[in-house]
Amino acid sequence: MFVKKLRAGPVWPALLLCVSALLSGCLESSSTTVDDQGARVSSFDWGLPESIPLPREPEDNPMTEAKFQLGRHLFYDRRLSTNSTVSCAGCHQQDKAFSDGVARPFGATGEQHPRNSQPLVNVAWASTVTWGNPSLGTIERQILLPLFGDDPVEHGLNEANSEQVLRSLQADPTYGPLFQAAFPEQNDPMFGDLAWDNVVKALASFVRGLVSFDSKFDRGELSASAQRGERLFNSERLECFHCHAGYNFSDATVDRLTTFNQLMFHNTGLYNVDGMGGYPEPNTGRHEVTGDPDHMGQFRAPTLRNIALTAPYNHDGSVETLEGVIRNYAAGGRVLTTGPNPGDGRMNPFKDGFITSFAISEQEIDDVVAFLESLTDESFITNPRFSNPWNSIGQETP
Amino acid sequence: MIRKTFMLLTGLGMAMPTFGHYIPGDGPVELSASVVATWRSDDIVEQNDYWQIPGTLMGGHAWPYEKGVAVDEALLGLGARINERTFAVIEVGTHGGGDGHGDSAEVQHAYLGFQCCEEPGPWVLEVGRMSSAFSPSLAAHAGDRLTSESPLVNDVFFGRDFHDEGVRLWWHETAGWSAGAEYWRGKAFPANTDGDGAWDVFARHAWSAGRIRTTAGGWYYRANASARADHRYGGGHTHTPVAPPGATAEAFPDTRFTGDVDVYGVHASLQYELSTDWSLGLQGEWMQLAMDGTLNDAVGRQARLDADQQGGWLQPSVSWRRHTLGLRGEMLTTDNHLTGSAAPVLAEDSGLVNASGHDPMRYTAVWRYQWRPDVAFRAEVIQDETLADDELRFGLGVVWQGQLWPQGRSQEHQH
Repeated sequence: MFVKKLRAGPVWPALLLCVSALLSGCLESSSTTVDDQGARVSSFDWGLPESIPLPREPEDNPMTEAKFQLGRHLFYDRRLSTNSTVSCAGCHQQDKAFSDGVARPFGATGEQHPRNSQPLVNVAWASTVTWGNPSLGTIERQILLPLFGDDPVEHGLNEANSEQVLRSLQADPTYGPLFQAAFPEQNDPMFGDLAWDNVVKALASFVRGLVSFDSKFDRGELSASAQRGERLFNSERLECFHCHAGYNFSDATVDRLTTFNQLMFHNTGLYNVDGMGGYPEPNTGRHEVTGDPDHMGQFRAPTLRNIALTAPYNHDGSVETLEGVIRNYAAGGRVLTTGPNPGDGRMNPFKDGFITSFAISEQEIDDVVAFLESLTDESFITNPRFSNPWNSIGQETP
Repeated sequence: MIRKTFMLLTGLGMAMPTFGHYIPGDGPVELSASVVATWRSDDIVEQNDYWQIPGTLMGGHAWPYEKGVAVDEALLGLGARINERTFAVIEVGTHGGGDGHGDSAEVQHAYLGFQCCEEPGPWVLEVGRMSSAFSPSLAAHAGDRLTSESPLVNDVFFGRDFHDEGVRLWWHETAGWSAGAEYWRGKAFPANTDGDGAWDVFARHAWSAGRIRTTAGGWYYRANASARADHRYGGGHTHTPVAPPGATAEAFPDTRFTGDVDVYGVHASLQYELSTDWSLGLQGEWMQLAMDGTLNDAVGRQARLDADQQGGWLQPSVSWRRHTLGLRGEMLTTDNHLTGSAAPVLAEDSGLVNASGHDPMRYTAVWRYQWRPDVAFRAEVIQDETLADDELRFGLGVVWQGQLWPQGRSQEHQH
């Protein structure tokens, strides 16, 4: 009985349903809507091209022009060291894309740093802000190291001298209005308990605002040689583009569009001092922090923007030229037969999988270098906005 | 206006239903084969471009049809009765797709079937790798269809083909009714193996009286995917294609989808025999898809996705002796909403962006001539409005579907 009833089942209604559904669909129109939840909104004028996403801003230190300007003054102020000999700008010079041109700089007390000074280029987009420390994700935390760190001593500030240094800043009438404008919600931002916190936040704001996206590459003005170099750079033969990826030419890049912080560090086969992949102490990279043997020799891939201005290269400044860097990669690692750290980096067991040898001609090396030189942003190194403010107000740099 | 007129006119017209599912007969081992080859006058997209219909997330085996001669499908199938209640089917074939995509042969069917309980009707249990049974058009091969190109909604919602490992239990063609459920491992788009698999339920009814034969049915399908890629172009180590001098190519943005996909559909067919020589046919299917999940990419960008999409096709046809003339009209509408800081970028990269509110459509006019029982020719004119730029292309094809063993028998559904 049930089957008989079904035999005369709802065939025509189903067919009509199909047709009517089709017709009803005709009347609708497609659309895709997006809600970026304010990702392009900032109270700070970043001056970015449309294609570049805004960087993240810490919730407790949103960017403002007033903090940027206060930080700029502090950045160039030598009084911010134990003996008034060192400012941030000493190791981060604008004409060198805020690097210093030496392999390893000296601090206020004459102690040599084991690492090469990193250029301060688009630091706001860096997922971590040192060569090898995966736990340092904000500029605010990193700045404490050069100011107050003692291994090595850079600015040489400590509990004993920090009050005196602060008093020297407080004595300069230039700073009062700058502090007040930067932290208007505080009653006494320069003399109160938050004075050092404000110094750090202002310095971080200036460093965060050092933005460089106006190179020949960005403007599409590559020479024929640079175009050939770009193709090589993005080829599976050279593999450069994997670690130096994206708009900031580093895979250690985050912005407001990214949800996760991916820790990206790489061993490039620069050393192999013990035949077991060891790097010379204390420069063992990420391994220094984590103690994980697999992290031996892992360092963050720096941005390649303005790279032609920031020689010498690698984490210890041990490679003088871009040609030298390319030749090391072409060899699949560096072989050192002399000096204090001999070893065959090509055989480093912790080497990144992309560091494999490749054949490259002299012309091709020149082409890749030409491409890297096209990433130089002349406006960045001459921009008065990033320059020493003490000169512009007719004062000698304190 | 054209769209409306076409749909209304097609409602007056008519085609033969096709079902891809296969149960071997009671005889000896059956060996069948088919080859479908088509020449097309133009590509859907240029050589170094990616076929991405605006407003959709595509994948699976939905390769773009390409200019020139292409083997759309080549199949070799073996079916056997192991005993009265048990049967086995193995089918090896290629998906086609041109330019090396999907040209390699793969096992599309490898399943065992059991049937029991003849009263009130046979229940069939099938286990293994097989096509789905919920949508007749999704299980149909290129040679079974009137047109050479698969329906647009099948390409977009299911990646053209559906072969997965799973189990199916159904009440099989009793008093015109078939109904059942399928559970899938999740290898077939829009699921993926990292997700929680997929399942579906379906029912359909076949009815005939005098000169009229009809079928109608409905189904519901649900899948879960985890970091699902568009495996046509992404999903692994991707490169920027090497473009010829003067041309440019871009790397495929490898965007992933995680979440649930719900699709339901209704289908129907009608055949009316006017006389011994003449008959009219009408086929159609309508699907509604909902996606609820997250998009992300390799650099950690993420956005929420809430999408409702629907589409379908309607195909009237008229047959005179060995000639069939048909029209197929297809359309798709998409309503997507992305939320999150990376929503604009991921909408662009995933292909979901549809700034101009484009409604993809396609119209196909086809003439098919059954020259011999196992050989047919077809000619097609396709007005393709699936992308922002319209395209008119032509196709000439040949279909060979042969029963290699035993010879002289046609392949039918049997219990």
